[in-house]
Order: sequence, then C-alpha cells, then structure tokens
Amino acid sequence: MDIKLRRYNTIYIIDISGDMDLYNAHRLKDVVAKLIAKGVSELVINLEKVDYLDSSGVGALIHVFTQVKQRELQMRITHVHGSVEKVIRLTKLMDYFPIVDSVKDALYELSGKGQQ
Amino acid sequence: MESRKEIIVDGSHKLFDRKGTFHKEFPSDYRQVRFFSMLIAQKAPPEIREINLLEQQISELIKNAVRHGNKKDPSKHVRVWASFSEHHAHVIVEDEGAGFQNLESWNEFNRRRNQCFREHNYEELEKYFSYRTSESEDNDGGNALFAALEYWDGGVVFNEKRNTVAVYKHFDNTRRPGISREE
Repeated sequence: MDIKLRRYNTIYIIDISGDMDLYNAHRLKDVVAKLIAKGVSELVINLEKVDYLDSSGVGALIHVFTQVKQRELQMRITHVHGSVEKVIRLTKLMDYFPIVDSVKDALYELSGKGQQ
Repeated sequence: MESRKEIIVDGSHKLFDRKGTFHKEFPSDYRQVRFFSMLIAQKAPPEIREINLLEQQISELIKNAVRHGNKKDPSKHVRVWASFSEHHAHVIVEDEGAGFQNLESWNEFNRRRNQCFREHNYEELEKYFSYRTSESEDNDGGNALFAALEYWDGGVVFNEKRNTVAVYKHFDNTRRPGISREE
C-alpha cells in the first residue's frame, strides 16, 4: 500500500494505492492522526487505486471517520469501486461513510461547506 | 429475514461433510495469511472469484484461525478443506486453539447492530462497528464476521469446540432457500 498526499487550498487529499489489508491498513490511521494534529480539518480519502480491502482496511476507515466526526471535521471517501465496494457493502456501511463518486465531487462539497 | 442471520454451533451440520473437498495445512504464520488464502482461492473457477472477493473472505477465516485461534503460535497449524465449482464455494477452516468462546456474545452484538440498521439509528450504531474483546489488538478490524455472514449465504457454522468453522456460498441465479449442497 502506498499513500500520497496532495493539497487543494485547505483540503488534504490522501491518495491510497495497492492493498489496504491486515498488514498495512494501520498506516492510514497514522497519516490521518498526523494531519489532524497539524490542524487539517478537511480530508479526502481517495480509493481509486485501491485493489483490495479487508476487514482491517474497513476498520481503518471506521477509525479515521470516527476521529473526524468526534472533532467535527470534514471528510469524504471517493472512488469506491469493484471488490472494495463489495466489501464495504457486506459490512452495510455504504450509507454510513461519507462516500462521493470522485475527488472533484469531494472538493466541490468540502469547498462549498468551507464558504458557509 | 436478514436480521435472523447468525452464527450457528452444530458440529454435525452437513457443512462439515468433507467429501469432495481438497485439503491444505499451513503453519500459523501471520505474515503469510494472504498467501495461504491465495493458494486456496486460486483453485476456484474465475467465475466465482469476483476479482479478489472470494480470496478476501477466505483470508478473513484464515486470519481469525491464525490470530485468534492459534494466537500466532508457529507450532500450531491451520487446516483448510475446500471445494469450488461455478455454482458454489465451500470452505472449512480448523485451528488448534481453545475455540470461539464469545460466539453467543458476538451473535447478540450482531443482533443489536442489525437493529440499528433497521432503525437507521447511526448514533447508536457507532457502538457496534467493531466487535472487540480484551484480546483485541488495534489492528483488528473487528468487522470480518459481519461481512462473512452476508457473504457466505449458505451458512457460517462452528463445531461444538468452536475451533472449526464451515461456510458455504451459492453462486447460481436460482438460489435455493437455506443451506443446500450439490448432490
């Protein structure tokens, strides 16, 4: 699993690629914790290039979204597709997670909220 | 009907019939859980692999056996029996541990979780995202069995010792009610 960060104004985009599994899903928790500690308040987790997600990966997504909600920050998850989508559907959390189609949609929503 | 899904304990259940299955045995090496799972899943016809979903679901069972059953003790083994066709996946995973003693507690936890979904009570649902015990580690997702009950539509059954789980999934379009096996 590879994690890259991009920034659009105040919004940080976390591009994840590869397998989000039992061996490395915890790295997402670490990255988000560091961003929150830095004062980042708007996050996009981009799963476009994630090919494999297991229960540890779902657990990491739950963990980071819980952290974000507790601090009243903003987050979107994008490009949920293929078997990654199927795994999230099996846990019935598609409606719970703040999922939007694309990074563009996420930036539009988060920017809109920022201007309120 | 969905809320009635639960893990069953019945060592004489027909899902424990190993006739027609192939067998593999692995050491409890946590680093190789996904490799072992691939070795099993690659025997399945491509039609039922759903890219890597079958492998992922088998991986969760083997991970539980290595991590929770055998406590990653390298001297203990995980035994797997499986059979696949274009219409089914049948997997049995046995470990050498003390068994899933919290099974009833897990079923109750899952009932409450499903109730939250039915009532769209997302605030309460947050208590039921992850099933954790005193032995849980930070990296345990705690959600694998929720998905397993949905995925393995022919049942998730433990033996009385609770150290062996048998699961079954249908892949045909003429899904039969309950648990059935090919003749």
